[in-house]
Amino acid sequence: MRRTWETIRAGAWIGWQVEANWADPFLFAAFAIAKPLATTLILFLMTKLVSGGAVGAEAFHQLFIGNTFFLYVTEVLIGISWAVFRDREDYETLKYIYVAPIRFLPYLLGRGLTKIGTASIGVAFALAFGGLVLGVPIRHDVVTLARLFGVTILGLIGVAWLGVALAGISLVVARHSINLNEGLGGVFYLLCGAVFPLDVLPAWVQRISLLLPFTYWLELLRRIVTGKSYSGILRSTDDGSLLLILAATTAATVVGGFFWFAWCERTARAKGLIDWKSNY
Amino acid sequence: MSRDRQDLRERIVMNLGAVTARASVRIVAAFRERSWLLGETLFPILSMATFVLVYRGLGAPRAFESFAVLGGAMIAYWNNVLWSMASQFFWEKEQGQLQLYLITPVSRMSILLGMAFGGMLATTTRAIVILLAGIFLFHVPFPWERAPGALGLFLLTLGALYGLGMILSSVFFLWGREAWNTVTLFQEPVYLLSGFYFPVSALGTVAASVAGFIPITLGLDGIRQILFGEAAKGFIPVVWIVPIQAALLVLYLLLAHRALLVMENLGKREGRLTIRGG
Repeated sequence: MRRTWETIRAGAWIGWQVEANWADPFLFAAFAIAKPLATTLILFLMTKLVSGGAVGAEAFHQLFIGNTFFLYVTEVLIGISWAVFRDREDYETLKYIYVAPIRFLPYLLGRGLTKIGTASIGVAFALAFGGLVLGVPIRHDVVTLARLFGVTILGLIGVAWLGVALAGISLVVARHSINLNEGLGGVFYLLCGAVFPLDVLPAWVQRISLLLPFTYWLELLRRIVTGKSYSGILRSTDDGSLLLILAATTAATVVGGFFWFAWCERTARAKGLIDWKSNY
Repeated sequence: MSRDRQDLRERIVMNLGAVTARASVRIVAAFRERSWLLGETLFPILSMATFVLVYRGLGAPRAFESFAVLGGAMIAYWNNVLWSMASQFFWEKEQGQLQLYLITPVSRMSILLGMAFGGMLATTTRAIVILLAGIFLFHVPFPWERAPGALGLFLLTLGALYGLGMILSSVFFLWGREAWNTVTLFQEPVYLLSGFYFPVSALGTVAASVAGFIPITLGLDGIRQILFGEAAKGFIPVVWIVPIQAALLVLYLLLAHRALLVMENLGKREGRLTIRGG
């Protein structure tokens, strides 16, 4: 257990060096907040234009929360799977990790922790900007913050393990297939209704949406932060039920991610793909 | 024929050959890897679809959905300029090919022009798919009868945009790992500044004017005005946009030529042209 934790910590530290040591802290901070700030303002202006000047407050608040927390999905999901390609092909260090007396999975989770950390900078900034500049009412009493923290962690566990599953795929495919992993972020952004109510999706797409943990995660976060429900089809589901569904789908993601990754890892080793260089 | 004229003719033929060769590499590469085709068409469609659905969720007029579709199609070009034009010399450096470009007797501008033409052609297929998906899957309104007028401004915008890409590529000449991160810094903030998903006039006069230096800003604004008239909430009249875009095209090509020379010489002096993973 101690060895596992040390591996996670080392992975997180290496991840931090890869992510941040190319720039001074100011530039790195600008990099971390640029995306959430820009997408927040895009949604703000879209809402403002449609409502003819007076921003449709409630609609924007819901878009804002979904968009802000979805940053974790894009950053962590793609970041973990990217770590495989970077280590395997750019730095050519993956094979050394495999010959070291550690396991790769905890190392990968450490890399995921770094992405959670960098994404948190963006999320925190966006929340502060939304609350202070755009007037989004963000409840910040102790109970709300505790609930927010708990649900965020639960959601992040699911995100991280889905990232592990994608990292498994990365172990057995060529580098240029990263497009597919990146595209999955877009698929989830669309399917879980991050910036629009699920009700505008066709019924058959809604059924897919309801299989995703992120759908329940974002709905819960919205209810915690703004105190209001957003999605029409989830309105009749109470908070406790949402939490149970989120916990169940997260548990399924963890178990599925673990076994899928193990299978991909065995396949990669059997086919000699650990030091594959497919860059062109 | 004098010796000088013969030399000039040979140089022109050689540089045209470089343009054609670099463009053909780009076109072949764009269609070779099927996962790229999928990634560069299906996923931008998803992104465009999201913003169409945002407007639908907000109950916006249908023309706004068309703005998002047009913006989604133009994003394909901006991403191509960023990832395959501006940062291309960074990739070449990483793969150890930059020095091969530098020892050839052709102008760097020819290589970049080849990249630009090839990139435009390859990206156009993606943009058309995005546009058609918006029109036929989401049934957004698109006034076909006004399309020929918009096409001229679109081509002018592409010229100026890829000229900007050439300037950026000279800057990326020297950069190492930070190039990657800087490119991502130019994505979403430019989506905002150039009004890819909403009329740029919403940014206000000052911000929209500054954003006008990115050719896609005024180009997209003008195209929306031609197609949708007053509903496009145009920033400046189309009659102004055309000469501004033409001026940007000339200015950016001249600046690109100068910047390439300066950055190449600087790179040679500092010994950074062959450093990998920096």
